This record gives sequence, structure tokens and C-alpha cells, in this order.
Amino acid sequence: MPDIILDVQNLSKRYNGLVAVDGVSLQVHRQEIFGILGPNGAGKTSTLECIETLRSIDGGSIVVCGVDAASRPAEVKRAIGVQLQSSAYFDRLTLAELLTVLGEIYGRRVDPMALLKEVELGEKSKAYVAQLSGGQKQRFSIAAALVHDPQILFLDEPTTGLDPQARRHLWGVVRRIRSEGKTVLLTTHYMEEAEELCDRVAIMDRGRVVAEASPQELVRRLISGGFKKERVERLANLEDVFLSLTGHALREE
Amino acid sequence: MMRLKTVLTIASLKMFIRQKEAILWTLVLPLFIVFLFGVVSFDGLGTLHVGLVNESAESVEELEAALRTVEALEVSVGGRDEEMAELGRGERDLVVVLEDSPAGSPHGRIRAFGDPEAKPREVQIAALAVQRIFDDRLIESHEIAERILLHVEPVHTRNLRYIDFLIPGVISMSIMQMGIFGVAFGFVSLKKRGILRTLSVTPLKASDFILAQVITRVSVLMLQMGLMVGVGILFLDLRFVGNLFLMALLCLLGAIVFLAIGFALAGIARSEDQVAPLANLISVPMLLLSGVFFSRSNLPEALRAVTEVFPLTFLADGMREVAIEGATIAGVFPQILGLGLWCALAVVAAVKLFRWE
Repeated sequence: MPDIILDVQNLSKRYNGLVAVDGVSLQVHRQEIFGILGPNGAGKTSTLECIETLRSIDGGSIVVCGVDAASRPAEVKRAIGVQLQSSAYFDRLTLAELLTVLGEIYGRRVDPMALLKEVELGEKSKAYVAQLSGGQKQRFSIAAALVHDPQILFLDEPTTGLDPQARRHLWGVVRRIRSEGKTVLLTTHYMEEAEELCDRVAIMDRGRVVAEASPQELVRRLISGGFKKERVERLANLEDVFLSLTGHALREE
Repeated sequence: MMRLKTVLTIASLKMFIRQKEAILWTLVLPLFIVFLFGVVSFDGLGTLHVGLVNESAESVEELEAALRTVEALEVSVGGRDEEMAELGRGERDLVVVLEDSPAGSPHGRIRAFGDPEAKPREVQIAALAVQRIFDDRLIESHEIAERILLHVEPVHTRNLRYIDFLIPGVISMSIMQMGIFGVAFGFVSLKKRGILRTLSVTPLKASDFILAQVITRVSVLMLQMGLMVGVGILFLDLRFVGNLFLMALLCLLGAIVFLAIGFALAGIARSEDQVAPLANLISVPMLLLSGVFFSRSNLPEALRAVTEVFPLTFLADGMREVAIEGATIAGVFPQILGLGLWCALAVVAAVKLFRWE
């Protein structure tokens, strides 16, 4: 049996009667990189925010690092590291100062330089967030989520808006964090990213999990069901799985 | 958890100091206002400026010298056109013209010009003074023996100047502006940019964060108050007789009232656009009517009664009583009580209305 660090059972969340998350169940294993995929409005961010205790839940249960999220949100906050889709920081503190203050919030004295080096921002310790590029900002917000050495890290669309180089750079950072024994749960729109980076993925559509397995397993299942690409380079890739599960129609935010 | 509060306070002080425009608005602008208003004299009935125009054949040196002996008069001698122009510009309160004597008459007409509509008191008093000089000369020339000499007995007066009135007022104004505008705009911006949301994923308690913000702003206000008093004494001859600790207490009470109003507004408003009208709605009437720049004694009775209970009135009156009258804590008890009640009211409103997200 794998060691389960995050166990979500039958989670549901409504906003003014609109169902955003509809009976989602997920198990994330310790030290894996787990991806949640889905079109806009599928309920990825809502699911994440429920797990992060930023939103109350309407049904089901969430246990993170052995702590029940609904009844002990403060403990969950201390145990997890969170990078929001649009994490924002004070603009008149340097990166090193920000990390020091964030560490103090968790009651820890951090070594800002070590953290910045971990996300390859060692030479930017005296810079302000406003002076960073998109990729650097994302890497900084990962460092900010690591100040208290959490066992599990939540990254909401960490590579959205980054160019391919910056994206691959960030993958390297995520892999290194995992190699240090941490678990990473991320959401993404990029199938190639999920296939490269994630050990297992859950595909969400309309508030539900429609598939959960390793990318390779999902592709194998699709092919064994008789799927064929029009021009065959590979028999199919994860993008095909994704589109066959969620449809081809363009989704708007 | 003292350590976290200290770290947060130091961080927020750093952020404040690094914000150039905040320094400009909170430290430089009030000083600028004081200097500006200190140079432009608003000392009510100060010096009366009389223009003297001589078109007669006689010398007016003696008359001019006599006019100059009147302490309240400043006398300029010039041509009719230029003196009348000065009168038009408001640089003269009264212009006296000694006209040339027409043929056959020993004396020419003496005419006086002024604008009693614009400057009723100035014109009247200047005219009386000039009249008195003429009378004296008349009496002298007829050598009346039983002349009544007016003996002026010295009376001690406070004789406060406008700058003495202004500096405690501007200190109070800064406290209001820092609270209402600083906090309301600052927090709405933190909210809108997602900084508060990012902080909400951490175990940071809202109360710790707010406390650090409050300590930062109160410290800056105390510094500013010291600066204003210091500059006032050194450069503007401020007659400061107050107890700085008592002023610090008033500053603290006022800061709590206005910071709490700022937090309440930050809770109501979703964007900077919504903050501005609300903040102005509250602050502008107080700025104009609470006796910051001008005494409330000229306000109509009914309006004055309303302004009596404004928090800025309590603050400005209290500051003034302490700074320039040397009032003790008992002397400003009504102001402290008023500010205390406002504190309670504003803090309740802030707690009810302020939202982290």
C-alpha cells in the first residue's frame, strides 16, 4: 500500500447554488508529483482551494498529512505549502526580506539565501518582486511556499503564461523539490507538462474526476479502446486522452 | 509571539520608508503647508496699510511722520494712480489724498478711499487713526491748553499669531489623513492586488498584521508631530508651551479613531475608485469645519454646534490647548473624553466592516 498524504473523499463545493466541485475523490501518495488537469471551469482551482482550507466545503472530507481540513484548518495551513494562481507579495521588501517575514509567520528562522538558491534566484536576493520576470516570480512564489519546509506543496497553474524555456526550468525545480522527499500537487493546462512531470494525474471535467492514473496508463487505456490518430507518430499521447475525455469544444473562462 | 509582531512591524516600517510618495505626503506636505501659511500672514487685523498721496503745494513730511508714530499703521507715500492701483489690488486698506488748493482757497480737499465692503474693520480703524492724527494737529495749531491726553494702560494679552494656531491644526489634519487615506487606500490596494489573499494561505493572524500596520503609522505620526513642533520652534517662532507626552496621548487617541475609520472604509470599498469618494465625504467637511486652518468662531451658530462633536474638532482643539496654552490633562479632559468615545465607536465599526478579502 502506498503512503497516502492527501485523501479527498466525495468533495463537493457550491457557489450560490452553482456546483463547482461535484463528488471529487483523490488520493495523492507521498513523494509523488500529482497533476490535476481539466478545461477552464472544471473545478481544479476550487478543489485546490478547498484542500488549502481557503474555502469551506459543502460535502465530503479532506485529510491532509493526517489532519482533517474541515475541523482543523489552522493545522493544515501549517503543514502545507501553497502557491496560488496569482500569488502576490509586498512590493517594497526584497526577496530575502519577504522570505524572512514569511518564515517568522510560521515561527521559523529561515535562511533566505538557501531557499532562493533552491529555486535558482540566489543572485536576486536584494531585488523586489516587481523586478522579476514571469518565470522568476513563479519560482519565487515556490520558495515562499517552502519557508516552513512543508511535506506537501500545492501549485496552481505554476507554468501558465511562461515561455517553454521558463516552463522547463520550473519543471527542474519541481523535480528537485520532490527528490527532497516532498509531495507536489499541481494543476496545469499543458498535457505535455503533465506527461513529462507527473507520476499520476487526475482529469477533471464539470466538477468531477473523469480519470485518475499515470499518464502512460491513461494513454494505454485509450489505445486499447481502439483509438487511432490520423497521422501516427506515436499511437497517442496524453493530449488525445484529455480531449477524448473532455471534448474538443473551446472553453471560455 | 512578541517576535513575530516585532518582525512584522519592522517590515512594515521598512515598506513605509521605501515608499517615496508616502514620505512626501506625510512628512513634507504638512511642513510645506505650515511654511506657506506661515509666510502668508492671516493674522486677522495686523498692520493697516495706508497710502498717502500729496497733490498740494505744502510739505506732508510732518503729517507722514505723525502717521508713522501709530504702531498699527504702515504708511506709503506715492502718486494717486499708483496708490489707487495698490488699493485695488488689496495692498492698501486706506488711501488718503491731499488735493491741491483751488484758486482763492487756503486748503485743498482731503479725501480718503477704501473698500468698506471688503475690509469693514480695516477701513474703519485706519480712518479713525488718520482722523485722530488730523485732530491732534488741529488742536496743536490752535494751542488749546486743556488738552485731554489719552493714557494707554498696558494690558497683558495672549497675542497669539496665526502660526501658533495653525501648527497644532496641521498636526491634527495629518493624523486624520494618514488614518483615513493611508489605511483605506493601502488596504484596498493590498486586497485588490491579491497580497492579502496570498497571506491568507499562511497561519498569519489578521490581528497581528493589523497591529503592525497600526504601530507603523502611529510611529510615523509621532515622528511627524515632533518634526512639526521642532520646525515650528526653530524657524517659525512657534510659541510652544505644551507637554509632549500629553500631545502624544492625543495623537495616539486621534490615530486610533482615524485608523479605525480607515479600516472600516477598506472593508466597505472594493477598489480605490470606491475609497476616494467615501474618504473625501468624511474628511473634507472636517478639514474645512473642524478649525484646522481657521477658527470655528466665524461659523454660523447651528453649524458650529454640529462641528463641536467632530473627532477632528476634539483632536485639533485638544492639540491647540496643550501646545500653545499649556493645558494639563484636566484641561483637555473634554477632548480626551470625546476622542475616547469616537475611538470606541470607530473601532466597533472597523471590526464589523473590515474584511480580510
